[in-house]
Amino acid sequence: MILLDALLQGILMGLLFALVALGLTIIFGMMDIVNFAHGEFLMIGMYTTYWASLFLHIDPLITLPASAMVGMLLGLASYYFLVKHLLRGPMIAQLFGTFGLMLFLRYFAQFLFGIDYRIIQKGLLVGKTLSLGPFRLDWTKLSAAVLSLIAFLVVYYLLHRTKLGKALRATALNKEAANYMGIKTDRMNALAWVIGGGTVGIAGGLIVNFWYVYPTVGLLFVMIAFASVAMGGFGSIKGAFFAGILIGIIEMLFPMFGHFTGWDFLGPHFKFTVVYFAYFIIVVLRPQGLFGWKK
Amino acid sequence: MEKIKDAFDFRDFSKPEKVGFSIFTLLLLIFPWLGVGSFVKAVAIQFLLFSLFGMGWNTIGGYGGQVELGKAQYVGIGAYTVALTMVWWKIPFWASMPIGVLVAIGYSFIIGYPLFRLKGHYFAIATICTSLVLQDIFINWKLVGAAKGIELPIHEHPDFLYMQFKSDTYYFYFIMALFYTAILYMNWFRKSKLGYQLRMIKEDEEAAESLGIDARWCKIKAYSIASAFVAVGGGFMAVYNLYIDPYSVMDLDLSIKIALMAMLGGAGSMWGPIIGSAFLVPLDRFLGSWLGAQKGLIGVDFMIYAALIMVVSAYQPQGIWGIIEQFRKK
Amino acid sequence: MAFLEVIDLVKDFGGVVANHRVSFQINEGEIIGLIGPNGAGKTTLFNCIVGYHKPDSGKVIFKGKEITGFKPFMTNREGIGRTFQLTKVTAGMTVLENVMVGAFCRTDDRNLAKVEAAAILGFMGLDSVRAYHLNELPIAAQKKIGLARAIATQPELLMLDEVASGLNPKETEEMVDLLKRIRKEKEMTLFLIEHVMEVVMPISQRVIVLDGGEKIAEGLPKDIVKNERVIKAYLGEKYAKGL
Repeated sequence: MILLDALLQGILMGLLFALVALGLTIIFGMMDIVNFAHGEFLMIGMYTTYWASLFLHIDPLITLPASAMVGMLLGLASYYFLVKHLLRGPMIAQLFGTFGLMLFLRYFAQFLFGIDYRIIQKGLLVGKTLSLGPFRLDWTKLSAAVLSLIAFLVVYYLLHRTKLGKALRATALNKEAANYMGIKTDRMNALAWVIGGGTVGIAGGLIVNFWYVYPTVGLLFVMIAFASVAMGGFGSIKGAFFAGILIGIIEMLFPMFGHFTGWDFLGPHFKFTVVYFAYFIIVVLRPQGLFGWKK
Repeated sequence: MEKIKDAFDFRDFSKPEKVGFSIFTLLLLIFPWLGVGSFVKAVAIQFLLFSLFGMGWNTIGGYGGQVELGKAQYVGIGAYTVALTMVWWKIPFWASMPIGVLVAIGYSFIIGYPLFRLKGHYFAIATICTSLVLQDIFINWKLVGAAKGIELPIHEHPDFLYMQFKSDTYYFYFIMALFYTAILYMNWFRKSKLGYQLRMIKEDEEAAESLGIDARWCKIKAYSIASAFVAVGGGFMAVYNLYIDPYSVMDLDLSIKIALMAMLGGAGSMWGPIIGSAFLVPLDRFLGSWLGAQKGLIGVDFMIYAALIMVVSAYQPQGIWGIIEQFRKK
Repeated sequence: MAFLEVIDLVKDFGGVVANHRVSFQINEGEIIGLIGPNGAGKTTLFNCIVGYHKPDSGKVIFKGKEITGFKPFMTNREGIGRTFQLTKVTAGMTVLENVMVGAFCRTDDRNLAKVEAAAILGFMGLDSVRAYHLNELPIAAQKKIGLARAIATQPELLMLDEVASGLNPKETEEMVDLLKRIRKEKEMTLFLIEHVMEVVMPISQRVIVLDGGEKIAEGLPKDIVKNERVIKAYLGEKYAKGL
């Protein structure tokens, strides 16, 4: 029973991880740039919802669109002011560029908000649990997972059924050809960053309901996102989805595993080390991930 | 024999470079006698230490073009080996340091073999992962002190056996000696077969392979050299600070700083890491002491670094030395 | 014993069969041309031989030793050198240093490598540009440097991928002369992919033609130009019948 419970929890968290990974994989699929600042976008999304709901005295779920907007703007600004210029340079510059952005946002947040840990305290669903048979699920996590799933599906629909989405995918596949067809690469790149920033902003807005936000929280999530994207295949949306869920499950099951084998001395924090390790193993053994089409 | 000659042969540097470096060396030699305060001495020691780290990173990151962001794990290995052997078995520094280097090299081969199957972004992320994993292990491992770290016993009398001194001046000359050894090594390295092959790999890996170069193996070798360099620095840190913990010697931040120094100064050039270090270390210390005094400004120092990184990445990835080289060509 | 033997080579890129059971032989000292329309699989064949791709089936035998699936650096050490169609233009190393890297394949001594490299540059008439960087030189020079680099590894078989592309008529003529000199003075067997007929036809002893992944013809240049299948591959059915 505990096993099933852990599994369920894992799936719920996994859906959120998947949403976080979505933005990363879209950006990478578009222009082969790894956005190291992705975790920071998440962190900002978290703070946005936190402060908005606190100051406006509204339920955090309603302030979600604010996180989305902030995320989108952040993505756009990052593209136009930094990434666009990085594209011209060598790869080392690109790596360092988004890395610099990551540090900047992280320490800017530290400067603005201090290092305190914060979490949503007031809200419609905070603290309430749903009882489904023998399982007890936090309403916050459940709603976050469901909304995450919806967001995922919306983006999927956008990319596969709308003209704009198809243009985006065309550029990702072959930007020269798309250019000849009249699809401007620059705008598609920007769009990728807008979607990437927006989705992870939403994810942040959802996560802050049950996870503490602090300036360095981004690092943890970006590593999870990397692992998800690597496992699912860089550039693959389906991959990000399934890999995110898989990692969520692994994460929840690992402490149980530790419990049974008596390897308890490894702190609860250690389960993320497993993720880093997983990334390494996956990428070495199967660089293209489960569904990836890019190497 | 050839190797030694090569190490000391600075003929192919331009006159301004040779003159500049000579003046620099002279200044360093008389530095402790210039009557500067202990703070400045400490900054100078840091500068030389980070130059050492930067030069190490430069072999694989600069000349080799493989951006790796996990050097700190080897600093940690060097530091912990020296610290632990001293605390547990009273092994003198001159024995424990080489052991530390060997452990670092061994570990780098184990990690390097699978690591260099990767390239580009995947590689960079993986290097971060390996460093984080090691740090996490050390944070949780009671045997090596876990998060509390290791305190080295303070000896009553300063000695060369354990490299413990009362005055910073000794440490200064010690790190200076290490620094110059590194310079000589780099001077040899850049002219060696491995150096040439590595540079070719950086330029065009495909072409390198077609010229009989086993790229993967070359990269692993360079990676190991870098790890050895950095482990030496780690060992120094152990005896200098007399206290180490996973946060001070294995942190991701340290890895970033190391790579940043080399990149800012000019990755792939001989003087780059030194220039980068000369610029960033004082900046870091100055910001640290100035901002430390103002309570509300935590994080601003990193913000400045970060802004620097972004600007350099976007507009001048060749670093400061790159700017100098561009001027020279005109 | 043939110098280079390719037997039933197959390379499939997940649906697109780039090489379908290609077989041929090259003898020592020959100059062999490989032609065919775009997309015929010429570069893939090259890459399978030097090891950039691993063939799905078939064998590559060089000097009696099977080298199928050997990695590029291994085939190079066995004695196969290759040039690239597009030399990556870089600014990090000088021309001399570039060629030295090639020379380092056969020696550990830097001074020896330098001497070797200088000699090759002299042979190719590139002495004057020793200290330049690739990005400062015109295409013709870049191509020659790619060639010099490969020659520095002292190959016995030199494989050239469209070495004449991008050259004007005068440069093309020079290239032809250079190739002849290389074959004679360096005693190398040459295997060229070419589109520029002015290069292939005059110097090749035999020409192999690929189309759609298959070998469709092999023989003397003068016979190849009259071969119906070859004409059809390049110009279409109409002309094959008409001529």
